[in-house]
Amino acid sequence: TQTKSALFDLKTYWTTLIGEINHKLEDAIAVQYPEQIYEAMKYSVLAKGAKRAPPVMCVASCELLGGSRIAAFPTACALEMVHAASLIHDDLPCMDDDPSRRGQPSNHTVYGVDMAILAGDALFPLGFRHIVSHTPSDLVPGPRILRVIAEIARAVGSTGMAAGQFLDLEGGPDAFEFAQEKKFGEMAECSAVCGGLIAGAEDEEIQRLRRYGRAVGVLYQVVDDILEETTKESGSSEDEKDEEKRGKSYVQVYGVEKAREVAEELRAKAKGELDGFEKYGDSVIPLYSFVDYAADRGFSVGGEASS
Amino acid sequence: VQEDNRPRPAFDFKAYMLGKAAAVNEALDVAVSLRPPLRIHEAMRYSLLAGGKRVRPILCIAACELVGGALPMAMPSACAVEMIHTMSLIHDDLPCMDNDDLRRGKPTNHKVFGEDVAVLAGDALLAFAFEHIAADTKGVTPARIVRAIGELARSIGAEGLVAGQVVDISSEGISAVGLKELEFIHLHKTAALLEASVVLGAIMGGGSDAEVEKLRIFARSIGLLFQVVDDILDVTMSSQELGKTAGKDLVADKVTYPKLLGIEKSREFAAELLQEACSQLVGFDPEKAAPLVALAKYIANRQN
Repeated sequence: TQTKSALFDLKTYWTTLIGEINHKLEDAIAVQYPEQIYEAMKYSVLAKGAKRAPPVMCVASCELLGGSRIAAFPTACALEMVHAASLIHDDLPCMDDDPSRRGQPSNHTVYGVDMAILAGDALFPLGFRHIVSHTPSDLVPGPRILRVIAEIARAVGSTGMAAGQFLDLEGGPDAFEFAQEKKFGEMAECSAVCGGLIAGAEDEEIQRLRRYGRAVGVLYQVVDDILEETTKESGSSEDEKDEEKRGKSYVQVYGVEKAREVAEELRAKAKGELDGFEKYGDSVIPLYSFVDYAADRGFSVGGEASS
Repeated sequence: VQEDNRPRPAFDFKAYMLGKAAAVNEALDVAVSLRPPLRIHEAMRYSLLAGGKRVRPILCIAACELVGGALPMAMPSACAVEMIHTMSLIHDDLPCMDNDDLRRGKPTNHKVFGEDVAVLAGDALLAFAFEHIAADTKGVTPARIVRAIGELARSIGAEGLVAGQVVDISSEGISAVGLKELEFIHLHKTAALLEASVVLGAIMGGGSDAEVEKLRIFARSIGLLFQVVDDILDVTMSSQELGKTAGKDLVADKVTYPKLLGIEKSREFAAELLQEACSQLVGFDPEKAAPLVALAKYIANRQN
């Protein structure tokens, strides 16, 4: 698999999917009265340069198990909507107080705090609605749709990403790893699991996708932290202020060396989970290549260098 | 409202409401259990279990039973609409929105837990509402559950509840707001979730499309009725009687039915809406429709 993975052109695979997903997301939010809320929703969901990692992970997991891309797209879009909702609320002044996101002003900076809260409140249900109204029922039976909805709701909820955000705000020495896992592992885990559910995966396969997704999500973040630490310009007061606001990173807690070890462990763990999908042959290659991408960042995707 | 003279089976509304509310409270207590991280679940439970009459869940259950369904089929949906209602109140009370300190006679969520936790507790309740329906509804076909989730999602998003809140916020302080905008606000901000409550109950209970649509009109009418009565009460009652800040609409320079129509015309409009609501229930078994008739009358005549 190592060689096949190397030959596989992840960048093209990913970029093609980004194009399709962006197109579907644009269609999914039609501006109507009252226009300002739709504008606010579109602003964050259609932000330029988004990598669309959750939707791409969802589609790849679905295709791994022989599911159709068409079956996975509505859920893939929904993942992006609820993810955007979480990020809009995370950026609020009463939370992380981030004036920018993905290189542009954050939602509340442009639309005001009240609209930002409401845009988030509207994007969560829009995600669920999109799944219900767009998933082809001949390809995905009702019980699978219900499991997908429950999975996404759990992932963003009080024991998932909301828990991660809460523990991140609260701080404390024991909370760090849990908060990191919840904030960064949960979305990837949920995306991989949803793809599997749509394709009708066995429970054991779902568990495997769950562990794989979580490992990749956290790996991605750890590597981000390492890159930020090793490439940052020294002495910029703005950078320091940013860091203080964003809370601690793996590198700050464990140092670069230990963070690199953690990253290697996560890479091995994620690949180990994929070894269990051997019987599906080459369809597992995209998922392997995500692991290498998360670890090595061999190319840039989505038009910018960082999320 | 005209009373008909047909003999009616005795219906004890108070006992019905108390009984159903107790069942709903128990189900909510179990559904949103206290677990780690504790503080966020405490915040969710603080607002969710703060009392309240449980009008939305009871409407959901009553609609389910009206079309021949059993209570357990509707209970997760009933809990879900209350979670959504609570979430919208928590977010509505935030300083950047209505900036309210008092809700149901208690300090608002952000006053107790802080704004950050209040935002997250609301988000978590919203998400959990969908998880609860999807994962815990028993005795209903998956197709109906999926349809109900679509209904709920539509009614609370940018085409429903949120649309009402947006127009409400942007019309504040503008004296030129007319009856049409006011109706838009209330049909979305209040009626949409009441509609979802009833429609979800009817879908889960196995109602036919025709029954679901009749009940939808019923719910829309009592939704608007709810708000007209709320506006009237805000003018006529004290804070203590209401359990929330009275006269707030006047202070905030909000447009209300009494301001646009006067108190008398507002009361007449309320009576029309009650009539319209009750007329939708005519074809149903009167005994089974009694709870919804009584709920509509209760919404029309409530004092707080």
